[in-house]
Amino acid sequence: MAKFLVLARGTEQRYANRSPQEMQQVMQKYMAWTAGLREAGRMLHGEKLRADGRVVRGAAGKMTVTDGPFAESKEVLGGFWLLEAKSYEEVQAFVKDNPHLEVGSLEIRQIDDMG
Amino acid sequence: MDRAAPSDVDALVEHLFRHSAGQMVSRLARWLGSARLDLAEEAVQDALVRALETWPFGGVPAEPRGWLFQVARHRALDLIRRDTALRGKLDILERATPEADVREQPLGDDELAMMFMCCHPSLPHAGRIALTLKTVGGFGVGEIAAAFLAEPDAIAQRLVRAKRQIREEEIAIDIPHPAELGARLDSVLDVLYLLFNEGYAAHGGENLVRGDLCGEAIRLAGLLARNPATDVPAVHALLALMLLQSSRLPARVDDAGDLLLLSEQDRARWDRELIAEGMEHLERASSGNEVTPYHVEAAIAAAHAAAPDEASTDWALIVRLYDDLLALKPSPVVALNRAIARAMAEGPDAGIAAIERIETDPALARYYLLPAALGGLWLKRGDPVRAARHYHEALTRPCSAPERRFLEKQLARCGSR
Repeated sequence: MAKFLVLARGTEQRYANRSPQEMQQVMQKYMAWTAGLREAGRMLHGEKLRADGRVVRGAAGKMTVTDGPFAESKEVLGGFWLLEAKSYEEVQAFVKDNPHLEVGSLEIRQIDDMG
Repeated sequence: MDRAAPSDVDALVEHLFRHSAGQMVSRLARWLGSARLDLAEEAVQDALVRALETWPFGGVPAEPRGWLFQVARHRALDLIRRDTALRGKLDILERATPEADVREQPLGDDELAMMFMCCHPSLPHAGRIALTLKTVGGFGVGEIAAAFLAEPDAIAQRLVRAKRQIREEEIAIDIPHPAELGARLDSVLDVLYLLFNEGYAAHGGENLVRGDLCGEAIRLAGLLARNPATDVPAVHALLALMLLQSSRLPARVDDAGDLLLLSEQDRARWDRELIAEGMEHLERASSGNEVTPYHVEAAIAAAHAAAPDEASTDWALIVRLYDDLLALKPSPVVALNRAIARAMAEGPDAGIAAIERIETDPALARYYLLPAALGGLWLKRGDPVRAARHYHEALTRPCSAPERRFLEKQLARCGSR
């Protein structure tokens, strides 16, 4: 088993015009998705990321700090899940009913365990 | 942050967002005043969006309602700080603790007060209904439009106009004083009755939102019934009526989603719990001397619920109840229902004669149930040719897709004889 990071990217305000009931339906899809993985012991962790951030560049002495690059980018990194899986293919199968795909993209990165 | 255990995910009950939205908008708007209804709605919408952006990653918080209330309140604070005219309201929002957000509302007082505002008699009828669904029910404009087969723009316009009138006439979000409670409550019950009927008429599975209308009307009537200020016989009578009618919903359509006649329904599928609950409220409705149309309609529904099959139904009692109803609420639709009951009590001829007396009433000119009833009675009478003529007429009148399929099925029966 390996660990995989699933990064959720999408535009901000994608749910702004939905009714409460429509939002709840999306939420319930997420809950079903995370609950399934959790019960199977494959969901290790998940966090939402704030929309703001800092980018630090330059070696000591020349270091510059700017507000995150996110402001200009249409696609922001909204959050991530850490999953356990056998392969990329298995993670792909996991995420196929993740409702985030209706509003944005998912990036899957395997954690390199240096083994 | 405290997170709910995975098994508690089911605690994200059906309609949590919709119901929380209604509660939060009611509470915030009551604090801020009815003129700031838009601000309250914006804050609540933002809180729900925030939940949707957060919970999928971090999990559902242990107290989802409390979480939503807190975020909505903070959002309202942000919006108010930007508006100098509203500074005076800051205090009340800041003092409110998250615990108070959830616990201070044991009886749904805020929603009740909001209902009275939405159903204020000085607002136009259509505005009352749209506003109740939007602010107390937590329905979206698109959903309200779907429920009433209207254009979303038209519904949005209705809401804008109603809110403007509320601001201009300074209609407060309050439970009325006992002196004016009666008339104001009548208006609320009227709106709930319409909501229920709208949902019930087309509960064919084709339009899920319309089914939600029945549930929402029952939920709001339940709030009225539980609050000491509005715990009066008419409320229990309306609630009884809606519960008893709802008990038949599971049996009203077959597996293909087609409508079934009362005689065709599998009564084992009637919801016994709803019937028991309905009977209980009918009992409580009888505590005073007041008899409203809701009382009589609930008694009719109870007579159906009490019968094990169509043949053993006390049709004579039902005809008498329709007589009472006609006296309280003279309407051609009630007269039509009475005629159908007479057909059951005395035979198809009596029913046909009674319907023919009201056939030309202009109020029934577009009502498909009149020719449909005649079709059914002529079929019983053994005259499929005349029956078919009436079913054809019924099909030219407006009706929902399941109703249309029902009429076509009946028409096919006429031909096969």
